[in-house]
Amino acid sequence: MASIAAAACRASLRLARTQLNRDATARGFRTSAAALAAQNFTMPALSPTMTEGNIAKWQVKEGEKFSAGDVLLEIETDKATMDVEAQEDGILMKIMQGDGTKAIKVGTRIAVIAEEGDDISALNIPADEAPEPKSAAEPAKSEQSPASAAESHSSAPTPAAPKSAPKAHGKGPKRNYPPLPSVLHLLKENGLNESAISNITPTGPNGRILKGDVLAFLGKINSNVPSDISIRFENNSHLDLSNIKVAKAPEPKKVEKKAAPVPEQPKISTVQVSVSLGAVSAVQKQLNKKLRLELPFSSFVFRAADLANERLPRAKPTPDALLNELLGMEKESDYFSRGAYLPDIGTIRLTSTAPAAPKARHAKGSDIIDLLSGTSKPASKPAASAGIISGTATTFSLTVPSAEAERASLFLHRMKVILEEEPDKLVL
Amino acid sequence: MLSQRLIARTVARPAFVPSSLPRIVSSTSRWSRTYASAAEEKDLVIVGGGVAGYVAAIKAGQEGMKVTCIEKRGTLGGTCLNVGCIPSKSLLNNSHLYHQILHDSKHRGIEVGDVKLNLKQLMKAKEQSVSGLTKGVEFLFKKNGVEYIKGAGAFQDEHTIKVQLNDGGETSVRGKNILIATGSEATPFPGLEIDEQRVITSTGAIALEQVPKKLVVIGGGIIGLEMASVWSRLGSQVTVVEFLDQIGGPGMDLEIAKSAQKILKKQGINFKTGTKVLSGDKSGELVKLEVDSAKGGKAETLEADVVLVAIGRRPYTGGLGLENIGLELDERGRVIIDSEYRTKIPHIRCVGDVTFGPMLAHKAEEEAVAVVEYIKKGYGHVNYGCIPSVMYTFPEVAWVGQSEQDLKKAGIKYRVGTFPFSANSRAKTNLDTDGMVKMIADPETDRLLGVHIIGPNAGEMIAEGTLALEYGASSEDIARTCHAHPTLAEAFKEAAMATYAKAIHF
Repeated sequence: MASIAAAACRASLRLARTQLNRDATARGFRTSAAALAAQNFTMPALSPTMTEGNIAKWQVKEGEKFSAGDVLLEIETDKATMDVEAQEDGILMKIMQGDGTKAIKVGTRIAVIAEEGDDISALNIPADEAPEPKSAAEPAKSEQSPASAAESHSSAPTPAAPKSAPKAHGKGPKRNYPPLPSVLHLLKENGLNESAISNITPTGPNGRILKGDVLAFLGKINSNVPSDISIRFENNSHLDLSNIKVAKAPEPKKVEKKAAPVPEQPKISTVQVSVSLGAVSAVQKQLNKKLRLELPFSSFVFRAADLANERLPRAKPTPDALLNELLGMEKESDYFSRGAYLPDIGTIRLTSTAPAAPKARHAKGSDIIDLLSGTSKPASKPAASAGIISGTATTFSLTVPSAEAERASLFLHRMKVILEEEPDKLVL
Repeated sequence: MLSQRLIARTVARPAFVPSSLPRIVSSTSRWSRTYASAAEEKDLVIVGGGVAGYVAAIKAGQEGMKVTCIEKRGTLGGTCLNVGCIPSKSLLNNSHLYHQILHDSKHRGIEVGDVKLNLKQLMKAKEQSVSGLTKGVEFLFKKNGVEYIKGAGAFQDEHTIKVQLNDGGETSVRGKNILIATGSEATPFPGLEIDEQRVITSTGAIALEQVPKKLVVIGGGIIGLEMASVWSRLGSQVTVVEFLDQIGGPGMDLEIAKSAQKILKKQGINFKTGTKVLSGDKSGELVKLEVDSAKGGKAETLEADVVLVAIGRRPYTGGLGLENIGLELDERGRVIIDSEYRTKIPHIRCVGDVTFGPMLAHKAEEEAVAVVEYIKKGYGHVNYGCIPSVMYTFPEVAWVGQSEQDLKKAGIKYRVGTFPFSANSRAKTNLDTDGMVKMIADPETDRLLGVHIIGPNAGEMIAEGTLALEYGASSEDIARTCHAHPTLAEAFKEAAMATYAKAIHF
């Protein structure tokens, strides 16, 4: 087990190093990474908005030395021609993109450089690690995958995995940093050597031994004190999310009490209203007779819904509204907004046993589909649909969060008024 | 009644009939399209391109996630870069230079001829700093493969954000995860309508076209005092009205706040602490404010050319469509989250000013990184006990950790060590000797509990205190760390020495 863990550690270390090198080279050649004598030199971004540029002319030839501050090449962008200066001393080993090359993306390798004093004939040209302009992310990902898969299963939340590895080495957390100055001082002052540290209980962040821990170890202060303080710090380090007071919705106003029974479920309410569609079918018949126009029942519903959705009172005022109310600056828009409801429709037959519309959803676009494909009658059979809906009542229902019940029931009542009293206005 | 109104509307809108059906049809097809192209679903969609939003976007891009950031301002960086921290720092720095040349250069041996203020150029310099930085963020988006949509986003459903594009038109984005980072806005003062000309918030205060003769600042917190400093240096007669007895806001150590008030008063800013603004009236040539002692004293009327309202900021969720997905806010309008920044809909998270914690850019930045790490790796971390605060007046005030009054209130024992800049060699040579470093540590273990600085460069110096606190250092650890001579930072070290033993130079 231990050896596997160690191997995994080494693998991840190697991964980290290649990653580091890649970062370093991608940034230009500001760094003098000793491990890599030959480095890729990539197209630099000369302005924040630059994405590509042309190479006008190399001022240094292959094999030539240059010092920090020398002009290496001239780059043309759409705006200007600019000199690129060397940041450090070095040798231009190989030019990958010669004079006059156009439209080179920032980050693309344009040359390979070596450190001053390197024998360039003995150096290998490193692989082009810069992301290719197009499939940038993919190769980089696949390079990483073997090790990173071992480290953590992609994005799955397994934070403990990498951390547990070092613990395998010995008892307690391994310290790989020097003791704090005060800790060292106290130990020496009291004739202890650094090995005594392993007997001290740490209370600092990430298991660090603090001055207080040594004082407690030496018996100079009560041994609980350091850990009590640590608990205090731990508490302070979190956002205080206790005692959150949810903004209150105002007391629902008692509008239209006969508004359909609202089942007392904690979150979801179904609101229903029965609507007589006699008037609608009368209008349909008239249209058919006079204009030879077959307007499906669903169009009436859509249009009525569109109207009924206008300016519905908000289920719950927004915080802006609450603040505005506090400050005496209410705006109309704080209390009304356009609804997005579409009722589910069933005949009395369907709803006599249970609330209608088994698929009723929170009044979103999906209901249109339910409506078109389901309970309402297809438009191609006006006679049949008239037959069904000319019966005395059809149930319109909505299933919404309880907080919205008032809003939804107002909507349904508007639907009822529109469809029963003035359906002709929907067509004219 | 209802039917009559409805009908009246139908008649008034003849276009209604032809338009309604196609609209429904098109929304259906859009809905089904988003289902068909599930491949286009983003790993993360961020609403808000402020410090929280853009940092999260870049971090997510670096983590290899497909990420979209939606911002309606037209430039990235949010309040901080566009109308907050950054422009105000430009004005603070340059107004300080002006003030110093005008009043402070002579006795340093520099005689300057005619000194003139060119406010237009001062503002231009500010705008240059701002545009350079916001464009820089845009470049970082490109570099990290972040898709940037300019427009106002609103929740259509739990996975879809509908965007009203700034250039007209509409689009929608689907996200596996969604991050709310919509920030905050200045809290208005009841009864005083903000016009950003005569009654202004911080946004107007960084863009005044002329120096007001009289400026009244309502609110003596950090924003109020910074803007009071700018305009006072440029020639305004400034009065700061603060409800509490202390300036600087609740986090500032009382002793430091007292000292700051004394120094700022010497610079020419008037203070009315413990004073309540009852009402305002801007109908006349001057804006009038009725004020009253908070403890019930005599009322008086203040007159001003410009009134700055700086009473705080409030979370901003306007137009976000939270009601469409049933997300709740707390009583102060903050989006309710858990410790991993999740709302009650777990794939929708929220960070920055719009949720809990101090409204600070660097806090938002920390959270932005942490929230992406939570999404990607299942663990992220922000240490809320170790977030520094800075007020960029002159001298600056900065602090981290707990204040003396906090500890007193909690009944926690502590030990204090201070060191004045008047005993610091570098401050002496700079002729900037106002202020001190104050350190608070546990009396038994010597562990550092808080650092409070008022003095030149306090904002930079607080970084050392933050690092020490993060690592659980004792004041002795700081005192035993070598600090270069002669530097202002030596005052920091000496304050540490004063805390666990004795300062050498005082």
